[in-house]
Amino acid sequence: MNGGLEAVGQIRGAFARAIADVGSVHGVPMLRLRKQDVPAVAHYIHTDPHVRGSLSLLWAVDHRPREGRYELCYLFTLAARKEWLLLATDLHGDEREFPSITPHLHAAKWYEREIRDLFGLIPVGHPDMRRLVRHEHWPKGSHPLKKECAWDQVLERVQGEYAFRKIHGEGVFEIPVGPIHAGIIEPGHFRFSVAGEPILQLEVRHFWKHRGVEKLFEQQRLTEAVPLAERVSGDTSVGHSLAYCQAVETLLGMTVPPRARYLRSIFLELERLHNHIGDVGAICNDTAYALAHAHCGRMKEQLMQLNDRLTGSRFLRGVNTVGGMAMDLSGTQLSQVDAELQAIEQEFSGIEKILFANASLTERLESTGVLSEHIAWDHAVMGVVGRASGIDRDLRRDRPFAAYHECQPKVAVYRYGDVRARMRVRLDEVHESIRLIHTCCRQLPMGPVSTGPVEAPTPGQWAVSAVEGWRGEILYVVMAGAEGRIHRCKIRDPSFVHWPAIQWAALGNIVPDFPLINKSFNLSYAGNDL
Amino acid sequence: MFRIIKKSLSTGVVTGQYPAAKALSEPVSREAIEKAKPFRRSLTIREVDTGSCNACEMEMNALANPVYDVERFGVHIAASPRHTDALVVTGPVTVNMERALKDVYKQTPDPKLVIALGDCAINCGMFKGSYAVTGPVERHIPVDVRIAGCPPRPAEILAVLETLRGAPADRDK
Ligand code: SF4
Repeated sequence: MNGGLEAVGQIRGAFARAIADVGSVHGVPMLRLRKQDVPAVAHYIHTDPHVRGSLSLLWAVDHRPREGRYELCYLFTLAARKEWLLLATDLHGDEREFPSITPHLHAAKWYEREIRDLFGLIPVGHPDMRRLVRHEHWPKGSHPLKKECAWDQVLERVQGEYAFRKIHGEGVFEIPVGPIHAGIIEPGHFRFSVAGEPILQLEVRHFWKHRGVEKLFEQQRLTEAVPLAERVSGDTSVGHSLAYCQAVETLLGMTVPPRARYLRSIFLELERLHNHIGDVGAICNDTAYALAHAHCGRMKEQLMQLNDRLTGSRFLRGVNTVGGMAMDLSGTQLSQVDAELQAIEQEFSGIEKILFANASLTERLESTGVLSEHIAWDHAVMGVVGRASGIDRDLRRDRPFAAYHECQPKVAVYRYGDVRARMRVRLDEVHESIRLIHTCCRQLPMGPVSTGPVEAPTPGQWAVSAVEGWRGEILYVVMAGAEGRIHRCKIRDPSFVHWPAIQWAALGNIVPDFPLINKSFNLSYAGNDL
Repeated sequence: MFRIIKKSLSTGVVTGQYPAAKALSEPVSREAIEKAKPFRRSLTIREVDTGSCNACEMEMNALANPVYDVERFGVHIAASPRHTDALVVTGPVTVNMERALKDVYKQTPDPKLVIALGDCAINCGMFKGSYAVTGPVERHIPVDVRIAGCPPRPAEILAVLETLRGAPADRDK
C-alpha cells in the first residue's frame, strides 16, 4: 500500500477539522490546510513515530495576478518508504502573515527567512527575523519575487548593517572571514566566535552571489530554460538541468525514450565521478597530503577531458534537453568510456590503499567536524553529508528516475558523521558510479533519444522533480504560466540545507580545522545564493 | 612507501597532456602585454568571484592540477590582494559583491592587471539584466584582458597567461 496515502489517512484522522481539501499533484498527495493549523500538522508529521516526515522543501508562489492569493507549499519526505507528502495553504487578499513552523522544525528556518525576503510575507513567531537573502543595503520593501517587481530594475543601495549573533564573555573574540577568500573559492562570509582555539559559534552569512536566478527563470519559456538551469551551480550542470527537464516533462506529459533515460544516468554518474574524485583530493590537500591531491587532480582532469571529447563540454553542458537528450553516444564512444573508467577505477583503488595506510591522514580526518545523526535529521540533511551521518537516503534508490529502476544502485551509509565518514561515502560512491555506468553502457537500449510534448500546459499547473546530484537531492518546482512561459521556478540545491548544518559540525573544533570540514561538505555557494 | 614510489613511477609525468587551446576570440592587447612586463617571471593572481556559477572557478582550480601545473610558469595564487599583480574576476557583478570588488581593486597595489574571465565577467552572460546584477566587471573597474568562454577551458586560460608572460615562443628560455 502507498505509504503517502496511509499517512494522509492518519493525518486526516488526527486533524479532521484542519483539512480543507485533499488532492494530489502528479501522484503526490496534497493536503490543503487553514494557515493557522499548519504548525500543528507539520509538527505532527515531523514527530509522529509512524509518519516521521522531514521537510524537503518549503516555497511560496505569488498567484495574485490571476487569483488574488499567495500560496505556501510544504514538501515532506516520509521516513519509511521515502514517499512525498505535500501541505499547502493560502494567504488571501491583503494577508501578509503566516505562522512560522520553525519553532517546531529547524529545517524550515532558512526557507521562511527566504520567503520573507523575496515575497515580503512574514513568518510570525520565527525566532530569527534578520534578513537572509536581502543584504542590508537593499532598500526596504524590495521583495523581488513579487509579481509586480520588475525583473530588470537593478536594486538601489541604502545604508544598513547586518547584526551578527554575539557571544559575550572573557576571552571570547570574533574572526571574520570573507566574502573574498584566499584561495580560488566562491564568496561567502564566515564569522567565528572563539575562546582560545575551539569554535564556540560559527555564523554563515551568504547570498553574496544572489543573481536573481528564480526571477530570471520567470522570463523564460518552459522548453528553453535548460541552459539557465545548467548555470545555477556550474559544477552540477547535469544534476540541475536534469531536475529541471524532468519537472517540465511531467508538466507537458512527455515520456522520455528509454535510451535517453540511460544516457541521463550515464552523464549524471560521470558528473558525480569527477566531482567526488576532486573532493577526495581536496580533502587530502587540506591535511597537507599533496601526493593524493595531485593524483586525484590528475584523474579528475582525465575525466573532464573525457567529458569534453564525448560532448564538447568539460561540464557536460548541453546534453539534457526537455524531452530527452540533445545528443547521442556511439558504440565506440561507449566502449571508450567503459575502458577509460575501468582504468581509472584501478588507479583509484591504488590511491585508496595509499590513503588508508597513512595514519597521519586518517588521524586528522577522524572525529573532525562531527555532524550527529540527530542534528542531521533535525535539519533534513541528505546527500553525501546525510549518508555520512547515518541518514539512509538516496533518490536513485528511493524515487528512481532516469534509468535507476533498472540498475539497483547500492547506497553507502556511514554513521560517525565526521570528515572521514564523508570521505568514505565519496570513495564508495566512486566505485558504485563506475559500476552503474558500466551497467548502463551494457544495457543501453537502441532507439530515439528525444520526444515532443503531448499536452499544452495550463497556466497554474505545476510539478516537482528530484534528482540525486553528486551533493545530494536537487529539487525543482516548475509552474506553468501563460503562453508556455514559466510562472514560478523554485530551485533547491542541497547546499541550501547543508550550510545551516555546517554551523553545527564546526562547533568545538579548532579554527584551523574548519577549511577541512568545509571541504568535506564541499557546498555550492552559487546554488545556495541563486 | 613502496606503493607510493611504485605509483609515482607507473604514473610518470602527466604535465602537458591536454588538447591544444583554441585560438582566442579576442587576442590579448599590446597594452596589456606591455603592462604585464614587470611580472614576466612571476605573476601573482588573486581570484575574485563576483557571482559566477562556479564553473569558471573550477577551471581556474584545474590550472593548479599536475596536468596544467601553472606554477611551472611562475604563476601563483595569492592569499591577499596586497601581494597581487593581477586580479582574475569571474561572474557578473552582483549588487551584493559590487562593494567587495571595488575594495579589492583599491587594495591591490599598482601596477596591476585585471583579467575578466568568462562570458559573465565580460558581458554578464545569462544573468544579464537581472535586478541583482549591476553589470559586467568593466562597469566597475578597468579591465585589461578578456578571456571569453562559458567557461573558458584551462588550456585557453593558460595560453593567455603565457602571452602575458612574454611571447609563448620563449617558453623554454
Ligand atoms: S561564464 Fe559561464 S561558466 Fe563562467 S560563471 Fe558565467 S555562466 Fe558560469
